[in-house]
Amino acid sequence: MAIAVKLDDLLHDRRMTLTDLADRIGITLANLSILKTGKARAIRFSTLDAICEALACQPGDILRFEPEQADCEQN
Amino acid sequence: MPTKSSPVLPIAHVVLRILIVMNWLYGAAIAILLVALPTRKWIMSALSLSPSPEADRLILGMRAIAVIGIATVPLHYAIFKRLLAIVETVRGGDPFVATNAQRLKIIAWTLLALQLLSLVVAAIARTVSTPEHPLDLDAGFSISGWLAVLLTFLLARVFAEGTYMREDLEGVV
Repeated sequence: MAIAVKLDDLLHDRRMTLTDLADRIGITLANLSILKTGKARAIRFSTLDAICEALACQPGDILRFEPEQADCEQN
Repeated sequence: MPTKSSPVLPIAHVVLRILIVMNWLYGAAIAILLVALPTRKWIMSALSLSPSPEADRLILGMRAIAVIGIATVPLHYAIFKRLLAIVETVRGGDPFVATNAQRLKIIAWTLLALQLLSLVVAAIARTVSTPEHPLDLDAGFSISGWLAVLLTFLLARVFAEGTYMREDLEGVV
């Protein structure tokens, strides 16, 4: 998928672990891990809202559009 | 997935198991009646029939209906077996799976076949009945039967949609 989740970088900057974040926003570690590894199909606004609040960031800091190689070659 | 405990599922499980056994017994009983016991003479005396072309036709019709009755045994089994499998998935807390949608679709087609066979049985009974010996059977067009067919096809579609929605939701964080 061309949407990349940059949760790792943000957590590193904030010196926070995934478990800490999971505890703060009330989402299971398993689900947060799915999001972090880019395996999620979609993200709820409520989840995005909670992450942004916990990490004091903007949605754009978490999600990035990174065109895949094949898409770039076609264009 | 949390599910409320309900007595419906264990009851359905037991009832379906009983129905499976009764269905086979019913099939065996018809097969015995058809093959082993009644000779033409035995049937004539049991039904107080006098030898005539109408009596022969009546016996032939009854035999044909008995054959159809045996043919319905595997059809009923196909329904009960799949219903039982669906009940098991509900008990396991995961009913919205593609196999259940497929099972319901097969059940719907089987119910349709049973309704058509019921029409055939009614037609045979009408053909061989005589004023002296009417063959009254609980067969023929049934609004509730056809409604069950329609509802099962709809339910199969609901399960297919439910499966798709659940799969879609699984990836949502």
